[in-house]
Parts: sequence; C-alpha cells; structure tokens
Amino acid sequence: MTDSVIALRGVRKCYRLGKVEVPALSGIDLEIQAGEFVALAGPSGSGKTTLLNLIGCLDKPTAGQILLDGGDITQTDLDRLADIRASKIGFIFQTFNLLPVLTAFENVEYPLLLSGVPRKQRQERVREWLKHVGLTGQAEQRPDQLSGGQRQRVAIARAMVTRPVLVLADEPTANLDSETAAQILDLLNEINRETGVTFLFATHDPAIISRAHRRIRLRDGRIAADERNHQLIEGVSNAR
Amino acid sequence: MLAKIAFRNIFRNRRRTLITLLVLVMGAAGLILFGGYKEMNFWGLRESTIRNRLGHLQLYRKGYLSADSQKPLEYGLEDVAEIRVAVEKDPRVAMTAAQITFMGLISNGEKSETFLGTAVEPAKDRQMRSQRLESGRELSDGEMDALMVGRGLARSMNVKIGDYLTLMTTTVTGSLNAMDFQVVGTFMTGVKEYDDRAIKVPLSGAHYLLNTKKIEKLLVMLKQTEDTDAVMADVQALATSRNWPIEMRPWSDLAGFYHQVVLIFNGIFGFIGTIVFVIVVLSVANTIMMNIFERTREIGTLMAIGTKRKRIWALFLLEGAMIGLIGGVLGLVFGAVLGQVINYAQIQLPPPPGYTAGYQLRILMRPSILVSSFALSIVTATLSSIYPAFKASRLNIVDALGHI
Repeated sequence: MTDSVIALRGVRKCYRLGKVEVPALSGIDLEIQAGEFVALAGPSGSGKTTLLNLIGCLDKPTAGQILLDGGDITQTDLDRLADIRASKIGFIFQTFNLLPVLTAFENVEYPLLLSGVPRKQRQERVREWLKHVGLTGQAEQRPDQLSGGQRQRVAIARAMVTRPVLVLADEPTANLDSETAAQILDLLNEINRETGVTFLFATHDPAIISRAHRRIRLRDGRIAADERNHQLIEGVSNAR
Repeated sequence: MLAKIAFRNIFRNRRRTLITLLVLVMGAAGLILFGGYKEMNFWGLRESTIRNRLGHLQLYRKGYLSADSQKPLEYGLEDVAEIRVAVEKDPRVAMTAAQITFMGLISNGEKSETFLGTAVEPAKDRQMRSQRLESGRELSDGEMDALMVGRGLARSMNVKIGDYLTLMTTTVTGSLNAMDFQVVGTFMTGVKEYDDRAIKVPLSGAHYLLNTKKIEKLLVMLKQTEDTDAVMADVQALATSRNWPIEMRPWSDLAGFYHQVVLIFNGIFGFIGTIVFVIVVLSVANTIMMNIFERTREIGTLMAIGTKRKRIWALFLLEGAMIGLIGGVLGLVFGAVLGQVINYAQIQLPPPPGYTAGYQLRILMRPSILVSSFALSIVTATLSSIYPAFKASRLNIVDALGHI
C-alpha cells in the first residue's frame, strides 16, 4: 500500500449537460504502484480522459476519494492543486501544447520557474533533459520550427524536468506518424525504466497498449478489465 | 519569464497589436495636442490679461475694496512716491504704473456718449501695450489734454485725429467739470464692448479734470508671473512695517474672465479626455479578450502544468500594460512631433467670440501634459486588461484544454 502512487476509491464523476446529468465515471476503484507503465484503453466516451483529469488534479470528482502519492486531493483548494501539479505530475498532451512564444529550452525551463528552482540548477536540469530526449541542438528553436516528434520530445522533457512521481499522457502518439510514435514510445519506456517514474496513458494506440505493463480497459465509465503483462514486467525487473 | 512571455505575445498577432497601438497613439497624441492648445490659450490669456490690463498686483488705499465711495477717488492713494521706490527696488518687479478709472460724458458738440476712461502714465502705458493703435499715435509724456479713443466710440462719434472733444465728469468734491481734449489716436483692445466705450487720457489731464492729485490704484508688474504670491507677501510685510495705509489684490482675484475660460476649457478637455479614455479602454479590452479567446488552450496548458491563477492574471495584465507602455511612448513622440509641426506651420485661427482679431494656433508642450498623456496610455491599457485577465485566470482547466 505504501508504494501506491495513485489510489481511487469509489470515484464517480457526473457532468451536467443542460438539465441532464451525464455520468462519465460511475464507481472507479483503482490502485497504481510506483514505477508502473499503465495504459488506459477504451472506446471514445468511455471516460479515459475524465479519469486522467481527475488523477491529474485538473478536475474534482463528484464522489469518492483520490489519493495521490499518499495524500488526499479531493478536498484540496485550487492553488494547492496547482502546486501539486507543478511538483508531482508531468503532463504530455496529444497536441504537444508547447508555448509557441518560448524556445524549446524555455518551454522545458518554465515548470522549474514555477517551483522556484535556482537559475544554475534550472539550466543544468533543462540541458540534461534536452540531451536525454535528443534535442540539444534544437534548444533555441521555437515550437513552430520543430517537427511533431521533436515537439513531443520537448513536451516529454518539460514533463520530466520537475522529477514528478507520475506522468499522465493523453493520447501522446495520436498526432504522430507510426515511426515517430514508435520512437516516442521507446523514449517513454526508457525513461520509465531509468527513472522509475509512473506512467499512465490514455490511448487508442495498439502499440502502446501492447507495450504497457498493465492494461486497464474502461467501458461506460467503469473498469471492464485490468490485466498485467507479466512477461514485460519480469523483463523490466530483470533489466533493473 | 512572465514578462518575456507577455512581451513576445504582444508581437504574435502583429496586425491586432498595431491597431491597438494606433488607438493608444492617437489617444495620447490627441490629448497632448489638445492639452497643449489649451495650455497655450491659458498662458496667452493669462499673460495678456496681466500685462495689458491688470498688472500682477494692484495696490489701493485701505478701505477701497470694501467701502462704497460716494465721490470719485474718495479712497484714492496719495503720496505713492515712497511706496513706488520701495516696491520697485525688488529685483522681481519690472515696474509700477499709476491708474485712475472714471466715467462721464464725451461730446463732439453734436452728439454725446458715455465713456469709460482710464487715466495712465503714458510711458508706462506704452510699455504695457494694453491696446493696439488703430490710427494716429499713442499718448506721450508732458502733454495734458491728449486723448485716445476706442475704435467703436471713435466710429460712433465720427472722430478724426486732431478733433477736440469735451469730457464731462464729477470732480472729487462732487461738482461737475468739463475739459477739452485733442484726439491723438484711436485704439482697439479686441473686446468690442469695451472698445465701444473706452477712452484713454494722461494722468496729468485726469488730475486736472477731476481736480485732485490722487490716484486710484498702483499696478505692480513683475518679470515672472510665478513670483506673484511671493512678491505680494513681501509687499504686504513692507506695508505693515512702514505703516502704509494700503491694501492689495493679486491678478488671480481680478481676472474673472480668465478663470471662466479656464473652467470652460478644462470642462471640454475633461469631456474629450473621458471619451478618449473610454475608446482606449474598449479597444484594449477587446484586443486582450480576443487574445485570451485564441489562447484558451494555452492558458489551460499553463494551468495544467502548475501555473497559479494569479500568474495567469498577471500575465495578461502585463500584456496590457506593455501595450500601454509602447503606445504611450509612441504617442508621446507622435504628439510632440505633430505639435512642433503645427507650431511651425503658423496656422491662423479666426477671432474668438467677443474679439475682433484672430490669433495663431500654437501648442504649448507642458511637461505635465506630456507625462499625463503617457501615464494615461499605460493606466488605461492596464485598467482595461484587468477584467479580461481576471476572466482568463478563472477558466476551467479541463474546458480550456478542450478548447479548439
């Protein structure tokens, strides 16, 4: 139990559409351990993104409890949630979502500014992560000068530079061609192995699903299946 | 970093920023020009009122201002020589001039009119340039029975240079006296109602006509209008210490017309300023609102990765303030240059109501107006960003991230 990065108990989420209440999640119980590489699969509208938003402290559940890194986040105020997001969670988006007016370097540096890391340390860490994602030469380029794959690499560096305990990725490869998608997936896999940071993907991509240690299938706002790929998990344990 | 982001965002949609800047520049430049024009009019009116008519200070015999005199010069000043010497010793004082104003009838033998007379020391009066000579010459020292007639009065009396006119008035003892004066010139002050009634005579002639040696008031002219209060305090102290039986008024207490003009102009200026303010506020608010709408997903991203709401607020406020700063600087330069061009072009304006002469359009570049126009640009741009920036900071993260 002490190892669990995420724990959800009886989490429900309803949206109001006019006068109708639409349930997006109806009773989710879930625990994810540190270092897991988890794929959240399911058809559109099954609640993947909603679940990711709740875990990512972007939204609050209608009912139930969410523990992130041991702390209950359901009763936390917005500013404190922003702090939690800045320090514990890395976000990777389908559309990369880099700040267009900042260079690759500045994009990666931004979250460190939020958490008040001193300048020298900041620059070291940014350089380290740009190197890690293979973009040392592109540090001074703006997003519109980078390819889709390169942009997603910047986004990955931005998510990792704060040393989060959890990285949430919503369809990270959906806007990339299959070759680039595979490279990005390799990179994420490698980061997971090296740093032991927990990854949670919402995805349709069979490549991600097949390479996940654990696959959680959602249907109509409920967990329909939760299976572990023991072969992969053992492989990772051996590699460590 | 926040400032960097804000600054770079300004140049993201260049055309929109340009239009916003144009509004700010036009607003600031407009205020500079109109404000400068207003200041020029104030300054011109103030100086002409003082130098041609009122003097900076007027000294009277004690009681003059409050008493209701029954006879002319009942409260007139006597023996002003000592006072004049002492006051003129002050290096800030340019000169003193004695005056009497009196009323009566003027006649050419066929027709009589009422007149408003001013008795002056001819040399001092020429220095004051209180009127424009229309024909003939000014009064000169040493002549007693010379007379200058206002343009309107001269016309209605059908006066020619060299004609003799009879002035009839009450002496200081209350009896009637009349005396012939020879017309040496006609003049205009620009105020028609005054020119229809005005005459000027030498002080010596008036003394003879009024049968007295008194004067009504002593005008004190300063080199700098700004010294008025200080000099007045000093003269007051001097009067107290030497027991002079005098009292005094500064020009600002006497210049009722000047104050009315200031009031009206400031009212217009305030009204136009408010319109400019509202236009600028709406324009900048619109720009910031459009920026926010376009960048909704970006705001969502910033918030998702841990940016607090007050930082989002600060970001857009900063963008507004920076646009205001750029607009203010450009407006300042544009307004100042345009002002110089207008001054250089020597544009003539038609006469104002009640006046008979036109004047040149001039813009006075007062630092206070430049600074306030510049500040207004920054303040309005910042103020108008407050609400849109607040809206941005209140966006729901999930909705913002899903915004296309």
